[in-house]
Amino acid sequence: MSQLGRVKQWNTFARCWHLFDAAWQNPLECSPTIEKYLKGLNKPIYHPLVDCGDHVVVINSKQIAFPGEEWRRRAYFHHTGYSGGATWTPAWELHDRDPTMIFRKAVYHHMKGNLFRRVVMERLHIFSDSNVPEEVMENITNQIPPLRSIPKTLSSYSKEEIEKYPKIIDYPEDFILSKN
Amino acid sequence: MFKIPVSGILLGASKVSTKMFVPSIGLHVSAPMKLKEIHANKVGGKLIIEGAFVPSPRKDHLIQNNNECCPLCSLGLDVKHTDVLILSQFVRSDGCMMPRRVTGLCKTQQKRMSKLVSMAHKAGLMCDLAPANSKKDPSKRKLWKKYNTYYDESTIKVYESHFKTIKDNIILDYMKSKNPEN
Repeated sequence: MSQLGRVKQWNTFARCWHLFDAAWQNPLECSPTIEKYLKGLNKPIYHPLVDCGDHVVVINSKQIAFPGEEWRRRAYFHHTGYSGGATWTPAWELHDRDPTMIFRKAVYHHMKGNLFRRVVMERLHIFSDSNVPEEVMENITNQIPPLRSIPKTLSSYSKEEIEKYPKIIDYPEDFILSKN
Repeated sequence: MFKIPVSGILLGASKVSTKMFVPSIGLHVSAPMKLKEIHANKVGGKLIIEGAFVPSPRKDHLIQNNNECCPLCSLGLDVKHTDVLILSQFVRSDGCMMPRRVTGLCKTQQKRMSKLVSMAHKAGLMCDLAPANSKKDPSKRKLWKKYNTYYDESTIKVYESHFKTIKDNIILDYMKSKNPEN
């Protein structure tokens, strides 16, 4: 067996640990990708009854992004079981209370509801920031590429870069740049 | 806004009251950041005040536009709200969009750019270009505004009626060419 084939086989039969940086990522878009790794859908030996899923460690879940007005329009439903016990919480309010909840719910609700779902969810480790315990970090062998590019702020560019960037328009002659 | 005629002003200044040059009125003796500067020289008993041009800071890196269209249309760029280096060119130092007579864009592009600028501000990508009293860190904003948001540019609707009139004109021209008698 070739060296590459041997490593491939190790990766297939071992429980790998993947890292995913959730900064500026939409959790609803990421959930199919993360489900693939959690269930082991990318492995050739996959079968619903074969326990071949991997671990996924999600960091920076506090910095997830939603499009447009989704933060206040999206509501999470909960019912206590008593009459009048229904509550609808906006996404931003839920994120205030627990910054990992929205990501966990997004992955959980994307998966098909069966007896394996809770077992698979146990392999998902979500951290609100980049402070991950060392016993978790030492297992990680792979990083899942981000689905969305992280936008650069204007302050991240140097002053020279901004000045030398090609200009589309020029000021008119009688323009006053600043009022002192 | 205060404007000065293109040719320099000459004033017999001995009679002019100094009240005119109080900054609250909007007339300044000198300002380093202006494209036009006002110079005041005292020659003998006379005070000579003149408006002098200053070279634009953008002169060296300007893209020449020889087209009839506006500079953005002729470039044919697909500008996104994350392209802060382009959007910051249409914005004053306090972050507000410049008017069309300054930017020189066409109506459609001006509307589109102003929406993109507001998107970039809401996403917290141009925090430096803001009024002095604002909180520049987007994570210190209130309620849902402190969390990261991104925008879809296809949601921008500009001048639907404008395109409709163009469409109608094309149909009318076609009808006229079919029936030249009417």
